[in-house]
Amino acid sequence: MKAVILIFSEIKMSLNRDALIAVFLLLICAVMFVASMNLPAAMFGQMSPALWPRIILVPLTLLSALLLIKSQRMPIEPLAHSSEPTSGWWEQNKIPIICFALFFLFLSTMPVAGMLLGGLLYVFLTLCVLGGWERRKLLLHAAISLVFVVGMWAIFTQLLGVLLPEGELLRVY
Amino acid sequence: MGLFENLATAAPELFTIKTMILMMIGTMAGLVAGAIPGFTIAMAVVLVLPFTFSMSPVEGLATMIAVYVGGLSGGLMSGILTGIPGTPSSVATTFDGYPMARSGKPGLALGIGVWSSFFGGVIASVVLMVVAPQLALIGLEFQPVDYFSLILFALTVTASMAGDQILKGLIAALLGLLISTVGSDVVFGLPRFTFGVDAAAQGFAFLPVLVGLFAFSRLLGDVRTSEKAHQRLGGDEAHAVHIDYLGSAREVLRRWGNVVRSSLIGVFVGVLPAAGSTISNILAYDQAKKTSKESDKFGKGAIDGIIAPESANNATAGGALIVMMALGLPGDIMTAIMLGALLIHDVIPSPSFITDEPQIAYSIFLAFFVANFMMLFMQSFTLRAFVHVTKVKMYMLTAVILFYCSVGIFSLNNVTYDMWTLFIFGIIGFVIRALGFPIVPMVLGVVLGGIAEARLSQVFARSDDVLVFISRPWSLFFLLLGCFSLLFPYYQKHMKTAPWARFFVPALLIVQSVPVFMMPGVVRPSVALIMVVTGGVMLAYRLKYRNAAPANE
Repeated sequence: MKAVILIFSEIKMSLNRDALIAVFLLLICAVMFVASMNLPAAMFGQMSPALWPRIILVPLTLLSALLLIKSQRMPIEPLAHSSEPTSGWWEQNKIPIICFALFFLFLSTMPVAGMLLGGLLYVFLTLCVLGGWERRKLLLHAAISLVFVVGMWAIFTQLLGVLLPEGELLRVY
Repeated sequence: MGLFENLATAAPELFTIKTMILMMIGTMAGLVAGAIPGFTIAMAVVLVLPFTFSMSPVEGLATMIAVYVGGLSGGLMSGILTGIPGTPSSVATTFDGYPMARSGKPGLALGIGVWSSFFGGVIASVVLMVVAPQLALIGLEFQPVDYFSLILFALTVTASMAGDQILKGLIAALLGLLISTVGSDVVFGLPRFTFGVDAAAQGFAFLPVLVGLFAFSRLLGDVRTSEKAHQRLGGDEAHAVHIDYLGSAREVLRRWGNVVRSSLIGVFVGVLPAAGSTISNILAYDQAKKTSKESDKFGKGAIDGIIAPESANNATAGGALIVMMALGLPGDIMTAIMLGALLIHDVIPSPSFITDEPQIAYSIFLAFFVANFMMLFMQSFTLRAFVHVTKVKMYMLTAVILFYCSVGIFSLNNVTYDMWTLFIFGIIGFVIRALGFPIVPMVLGVVLGGIAEARLSQVFARSDDVLVFISRPWSLFFLLLGCFSLLFPYYQKHMKTAPWARFFVPALLIVQSVPVFMMPGVVRPSVALIMVVTGGVMLAYRLKYRNAAPANE
């Protein structure tokens, strides 16, 4: 155990952002290489389905390794050694993450709520998350959601003839 | 058929009341979108795309071109009136446009910008109509191997545009190519990299990927903090003014040399993959300053300082269209979206596109020409709309557009799978952007990946000999050019300090002359000879004065 700790302390690999990206990319390359082994070999004198991905993976692996080496020559970012790295990160990315979560909810509930109801709820909630929950704003956000979502739904279904998902709640047949 | 016969055939297709109305709406939408800081032209073209699905190819493409042209010109409104460029293509316009507006001549500054945009666009349309068919003739010589090398070159150039971040640019391009391999393989149609998810066998349609990576991630990046989310789109400074059309036209025509030079710079930059109007407007401004007799007035409201960037950025659109129309390859996000629109209508752009589909091709040429006239006349009306739109808060626009993107993407194939693709690539785009990777190489990687694989499979179907990549002149030409483009960021960084940088251009000329010399005929080997002689003379001169500082040459 002591030997392992000694090796790691000797390596002193600085875990800055680029190093983590490079390691992640190398992992992706490894997974894809292994997956490409399961693809069929070349047939009828044609190119194998695995050839093109491998042509991409070879330089990608090399460049990822280069990024890892380059990252070790960079000064260590304060982020890597901060005592509270997660709180700052969360504050910086809170709004986009909530928006993505709302979009995920919108897509997950699509079979039930459909594009119209789901869209109304999604736009309203996104507006409130981004703009605030005060009573006056709630009315404004509700009006914006209603006008734009119903408007767009009408344009796409009535004008352009697109069959948008109705959802089980509004299904008439 | 000649140019005019083809134009006459295409004209009835384009000049219908419906298409003209669509183009006018498109121009207006583009002008307003371009004027809003942070709202890119590509975003506007993406938003228009779903509406084009139910249109004919000519109507759809004409509308998108109108948005594109409008967007390029719209940026000048906010740039001149508020000092904040509406789009990156109008950055240089603010250098002199804003000081002129502040000195009490906003109408003149706007007029100069509008006329310069107009002339830039018209010059580019003429070049487009003349050059694209000729370039397509050269494109007909291309074998699959040449195409494959051209795609590699396009990707290396795109990555090299990331400058110091070229490593990340290359990784992004390769990741884009890797994404395009998910789904069915091009040759046998067998599922590939699906990891047990049946739906993934259909792969990722490139428009949801493109919108996710580009628009979705950007919008959420714009509302990252509560303060940013509550910002008004154009600040509070915008106000409507009367555009001085006559006075500004006189000023612009008096400086026609600057107009023509800047427009040609714009077209040239547009032809290069990924080097769009963001670069051309700065480059043209720099050239105008260097050649002007009144260079000391630049930055204080110089007329030439408004003419140059505005002529160049509109002309860039013409250059980008040349490559897309002649070779069927998109060079930037805008042409990638247009390529997507063409594919939706079962029109596959290739070197034979202009000869096979002259009506559509020449309608596109004409639409680009006409859109510039529309832009000229609609600028005044749009100015008022722009002043109102700038009062809207960023978060309202974001919420509505995110929903709109999902509806638009669903209507592409009427499957929710595409919306999931949009969501996943929205996250990937957001993360990639936050980690400092450029998005454009990745997007082009996704778009070009399928084409590259198809071409490579054709190469291997013909022969197993990999030497064909260097024995075919065009292929060798693009591969060598790709190598130089990878070195270009280092050259750019060290051109005034490192001794080796002085030999970059002569080496480029001499090395590139080899494939040109291998080409058939008399003209091209003669060009190769000129390249060798020029490169040789430059090399000899620089060797003789090797001790002189590069900057003093």
